Amino acid sequence: MPVDGGSSPSSTGPPAARGGGPAVRHVALLVGGAVFVMWAVATLTFFAIRLIPGDPAQAILGGPGSQASQEALDQVRLDYGLDQPLLAQYLAMLGRLVTGDLGTSYALKVPVAELLGAQVGGTMLLAVCSLALAWVLALALSLWSTGRGRIATAVGQGIELFAAALPHFFLAAVLIAVFSSGLGWLPPVATGTPVGLILPVATLAVPLAGFLAQVMRESLLDAMRQPFVVSARARGESALGVRFRHTLRHAALPGISLSGWALGWLLSGAVVVETIFAMPGLGRTLLQAVTLRDIPVVTGVVLLVALVYVVMTVVTDLAMRVADPRLAGEAR
Amino acid sequence: MSDLELQQATVDAAAAEARPTGRPRVGTIIAGAFVAFLLVATCFPWLLETYDPNAIAPADAFQPPSAAHWFGTDESGRDLYSRVIAGTATSLAIGVAATAIGLALGLVLGVAASFGGRAVDFGVGRLVEVLFAFPGLLLALLVIVVAGPGPVTATIAVGLSTAPGYARIIRGQLISIRSAPYVEAATVLGRTRPRILGAHILPNALLPLVVLATLGIGQAIVWAAALSYLGLGAEPPAAEWGAMLSAGRTYLATAWWMTVFPGLMIVGTTIATTVLGRALARRERGVR
Amino acid sequence: MHAALHPLRRPRTFGLAVAALVGAVALAGCQAAEPDASDEPVAGGTLRYASGDAEPTCLDPHVGGNYPQALVATQFLESLVSLDESGEIIPWLAESWQASDDGLTWEFTLRDDVEFTDGTPFDAEAVKANVEHLKDPATQSSTGYLALGKVDRVEVVSPEVARFVLTAPDSALLESLSQPWLAIESPAGLARGMDENCQAPIGTGPFVVDGWEKQERISLVRNDDYVSPPADARHEGAAYLEAIDWRFIPDAASRYAALQAGQVDVIDNPQPDTAAAAEKSGDPTWIDAPRPGASNRIELNSGQAPFDDERVREAFIAAVDVNDGIDSLYFGTAERSYSPLSSAEALAYSDPDLFETDLDRANALLDEAGWAERDDDGTRVKEGERLVVRFPVSTNQSVPAEQSLFEQVQATAKEAGFDVQISLLDLSSWYGALFAHEYEIVSAPYTKVGPDVLRILYHSDSITPAPSGYFANLAQVNDPEIDALLTDAASTSDAAERADLYERAQALILGGHYLLPLYDQQNSFLVANSVHGARALPTVSTPTFYDAWIAD
Repeated sequence: MPVDGGSSPSSTGPPAARGGGPAVRHVALLVGGAVFVMWAVATLTFFAIRLIPGDPAQAILGGPGSQASQEALDQVRLDYGLDQPLLAQYLAMLGRLVTGDLGTSYALKVPVAELLGAQVGGTMLLAVCSLALAWVLALALSLWSTGRGRIATAVGQGIELFAAALPHFFLAAVLIAVFSSGLGWLPPVATGTPVGLILPVATLAVPLAGFLAQVMRESLLDAMRQPFVVSARARGESALGVRFRHTLRHAALPGISLSGWALGWLLSGAVVVETIFAMPGLGRTLLQAVTLRDIPVVTGVVLLVALVYVVMTVVTDLAMRVADPRLAGEAR
Repeated sequence: MSDLELQQATVDAAAAEARPTGRPRVGTIIAGAFVAFLLVATCFPWLLETYDPNAIAPADAFQPPSAAHWFGTDESGRDLYSRVIAGTATSLAIGVAATAIGLALGLVLGVAASFGGRAVDFGVGRLVEVLFAFPGLLLALLVIVVAGPGPVTATIAVGLSTAPGYARIIRGQLISIRSAPYVEAATVLGRTRPRILGAHILPNALLPLVVLATLGIGQAIVWAAALSYLGLGAEPPAAEWGAMLSAGRTYLATAWWMTVFPGLMIVGTTIATTVLGRALARRERGVR
Repeated sequence: MHAALHPLRRPRTFGLAVAALVGAVALAGCQAAEPDASDEPVAGGTLRYASGDAEPTCLDPHVGGNYPQALVATQFLESLVSLDESGEIIPWLAESWQASDDGLTWEFTLRDDVEFTDGTPFDAEAVKANVEHLKDPATQSSTGYLALGKVDRVEVVSPEVARFVLTAPDSALLESLSQPWLAIESPAGLARGMDENCQAPIGTGPFVVDGWEKQERISLVRNDDYVSPPADARHEGAAYLEAIDWRFIPDAASRYAALQAGQVDVIDNPQPDTAAAAEKSGDPTWIDAPRPGASNRIELNSGQAPFDDERVREAFIAAVDVNDGIDSLYFGTAERSYSPLSSAEALAYSDPDLFETDLDRANALLDEAGWAERDDDGTRVKEGERLVVRFPVSTNQSVPAEQSLFEQVQATAKEAGFDVQISLLDLSSWYGALFAHEYEIVSAPYTKVGPDVLRILYHSDSITPAPSGYFANLAQVNDPEIDALLTDAASTSDAAERADLYERAQALILGGHYLLPLYDQQNSFLVANSVHGARALPTVSTPTFYDAWIAD
C-alpha cells in the first residue's frame, strides 16, 4: 500500500540501511540522502540549462530584443565566467552553492538569494495556510461521512472527487466571479492582509482537501474496525466522541507522510494562484524567470524547492517515528 | 508520494467500502457513459458537432447559450459546444500521450529496479528520489525552458513529471508479485528469469497498470491545461480545453459560458476516469 | 530587449482620452479627464495604480528602454521637451531651443530653478552627463541609444545652455528627446552605478521613488519642492496626491475585478469588453491613448518565398478580412487603420483602397503566380510546395483579443488556399523564430514619437541584424527609393518638405503590399470616478498623475 509503504522515505532508502541500526545512524543516512538529492538536483539543472538554445550573455544584456554590441557581449561573458570550459563553470557553481551563493539574476541584477529570500515568505505563508485549511476541510468531511452508511459515503466521496478534479485556474475564476465580482465580499487580488489571503488559500486548499479526504477515509475506516474503538463504544462513549478521541490520530498518520508531497503540489499550484491573485511569491518569480530565460533565478527556485522537499522528507520521517512508535523500532 | 500514489491509495479506500455484490454501481455506469461519450467525440466528432468548430462568424461573437448554440459562442463567433467536442480529441490525446510517456518510463525504471539487482534498485531509487524533488509543474516548466513551449513539449513535460510516481508504484507491485507463491513455484521449477518475467509477472501486473493509467489521465489533462493557461501549451486554432478556458477567463466579466463549459469538461473527464479506474481496481481485486 | 517593442507586455487595449464624460471624442492627441467646474482639487491621498504590463527589471529607462519602464518613469523623471495635444513640441526642462542653419548644432536653454530630488542642480552639465550615460555601451541602452544615433556630443556653453553637436541633421531630434527613455536623471544618481540606480533613479519629477518591493509594488511619494511641470500642465507647484502605490496585477480579469472592488483606483490595459462597458456607462472613466509611432500591423516577409513575389503578398492582403473581427473583438473601441503610422502621428498617411477584401482577386493573383493547384486540405501547392505561412505570435505582445483576431486572419486566409500556421511563443522563442527568419508574417509593435519610426522599420539598413540578432525591418523591405525618401526626410529642416517625403514613403510602403495595418497600438486606462485630473502625456501616451486628485 503506497500510502504507508511507498510514501515514507523508507521505501527508497538505500538498501544497505535496511538491516536496521541505531537512531544516530538512521539520521545520518537521512541527512546523507538529502545532501545527495541536493547535489543531484543542482547537477541535473546545471546541465539541463546548458541545453537551452540561445546565448546566456544575451539574456544578461536584456534578452534577444536588445541591440547589445559585440564588446558588451564579450565583457559579459568574461564577467560571468561564460568563457570558461563547462567543467570549470560547473565546479565554480558547486563551490558557490556550498557557500549559499546562488548567483545574480540576469534580468534584475540582484543576488538570487536576496530575491528569493524576499519571495519565499509569501509563498510559504500561502502554502502553510492552504495545507492547514485543506487538513481541516478533509478531516471535517471524512469524519462526517465515513462509516455512516451508503448515502453519507456516496455524498462524501462525490464531494472529494469533485474537489480533487478542480483545476486551480478554473476554481480561482469561479471564486472571484462569485465572491468578489458577484457578492463583493472578498477582494479579488491579494492585499497583504489576512482577508486578501482567503480566496487564494481556498483555491489551493479545496482540491488538496479532496485528495487528503480520500486518504483519510481509508485510515479512519481501518481505525474504526480496531478493537479499542469497539470497546470504547461498548463503554458507552458517543460515536462522535470516539471519532475525535480515538480515530483522529490514525487518520492523521497518512496525512503526515503526505505533507511533503502536498507541499510540492502546493508550490506547483502557487505558480498559477500567485499570477491570478497578483501575489508576490516564488511561483510568479519562477514564471517570470522562465519567460525571461533568467537562468540563475530558475536554478535558484528549483534548488530552493528541492531543499524544502528534502527537509520535509527528513522531518516527516522523524515525525512519523514520533507519532507511531512501532516505526521507531522497525528497520529502515 | 505522488498524485498517482495518492490516487492508487484512494482506490483501496473506495474498495474497502465496496458492497459485496457484483453489480456495478450507478456512479460507475454514469462514468462509463461519459467516457463512452468522450470516445465518440474523439473518434467521430462529426456525429456530435452541430457546427464547424473552426468556422468564424465575428457577427455572432459572444452569444449566450441558446437553442442554436447550446454552450453559446466564443470571441470569434465559433460554436462553443462544437469546439468543446472538437477539443476532446486534443485534450484526451495530450492526457493519454502524457500518461503513456510517464507509464513507459515508469515501467522501465520499475522493472529495472525490481529485477536488476540491488545496485540497480539502489540507483533507480535515488533517481526517483531526485525526480521527486521537482514537483509537477516545476519539472514541466524546466522542460519548457529547455525545449521551448508548445503542445508537444507540454505533453512530454507532463509525462516526465509523472514518471517517478509510476516507477515507484510499479516497483512495489512487481516486488509483491515476485514473492507470490506461483512465481516462487516457477523459480523452483527452474524457469529462467526473463521467462518468469514474461510469462508470469508482467501479465499479472498488466491490469493494475491499466488501472493506474486510467487514474493518471485525468490529472495529466489538468496539468496540461494549466500549462495552456500559462500560455505554454496548445496552438490555435486547435480547440483544447485548457486553452479555451484560458481564453474564456479573459472575458469572464461578460461571457461566463466561455469559462464554465470547458472547465466543466475538464472536471467531468477527471471525475469519470477516476471513477472508472476505481471500478476497474475493484474488479481487479476480485479477480486476483 | 528592444524597448520600444515593449517586451513583456501583457494585455493591453485601446486608444485615447476620457471619452466617458464627453462621449467618444477622437482627437489626434490626448485628452484629459476634465473635472467638473464646481470641483476644487483636494490635496492628499494615495492613488493606487495597477499595471498589467510586466514589472520592469530596472526602473532607469535609460537601461534597455521599454514601455513598462516608461509607464512608471513618467511619474518621477522629466524630459527636456514635451508634446501638447496637437503634437507640437512644448517646453519642459528646456525653456527654448535653437538649431543652427546647417542643422548640426542645437542649443537648448534650460530652466535655472530646478533641482533633482537629491539636491543636485539641474544644468547643462547634467544634460551632458545623461547623454553620455545613454551613449555609453555599459548602460545597455537600446531605445535611447538609437534615438541619439546622430548626436555626437553635448557641450556645456554655460550652466543654462547645452549645445548638442550632431553628425548629420536630425529632423526627429526634438521628438526623440521628448520620450521618457531620454529623460534627465541626477548625475549624482547615475554615478552610483547601474545596480543602485536601477532600484531608485533620481529625477526632477512630481514624485520620488520611495521603495520597490519586487513583484509587489513601487512606492512613490510626492516631491514637495516640485517646480517644473510641462507647459501644458493644469496647475503649478507640488502634486495634489501625497503618494502613488504602483502595483503589478498581470491577470487582466483580476485587475478589472480589483478596480470594481475598489482595491485600486486606476488600471492600465483593460480588456476590450470592460473598456467598452466603461465607455458606455462612464463608470469607471475610460482614457483612450493610442501610442505614437507605428500602427499595429501584420508584416509580410518579402525576403523569402512565397512572399518575395508581390502578387502573393497582394493576394494575401486581398484574402484576409479583419474588419468584422476588429469590430466584434474590440467592441467598437479600436478603429481600423490603413496606415503604417499611428493615428497619433500627424504625418500618418492612409490608403483604404489598397485593403479591400476581394477573394476572387486573391484567387486570380495566386493562380497567376503559379499557385494554381490545391491539395486535399484546400491549401494551394506549387511544384510540390504547400503555401504555408508561418506566423509566430508573441503572447507577451499580443493580447488575447489580438490573438483571436489572428485566428480569424488564419480562417479567412484559408479560403484563398493559404495555410497559416500560428505558433504562440514566449518572448525569447518569438525573437528566436524571427532571427532565424522562420516566419512569413509577423506582428511587432514599435513605439516612438514621430514618423522617423518609418526609417527604423522600413529602411534597408534595418535588415542587417545587430550582434544580438535583432533587426527591425521585419518585412525585409529593400527598396532604394524608399531608403532615399526616408533618409532625406530625417535630415530636412523644412516641415512641408518633410511631410511630403514621409507621405511618398508611406505610399510606396503600402503600395508594395508589405504590410496589413490593423489598428493603432492599443493603450488605455480605466480610472475610478473618484479620481480627477488624470491624463495621458501626449508623448508616448503614458499616464501622468501630477494634476490628479482624489475626491472624498
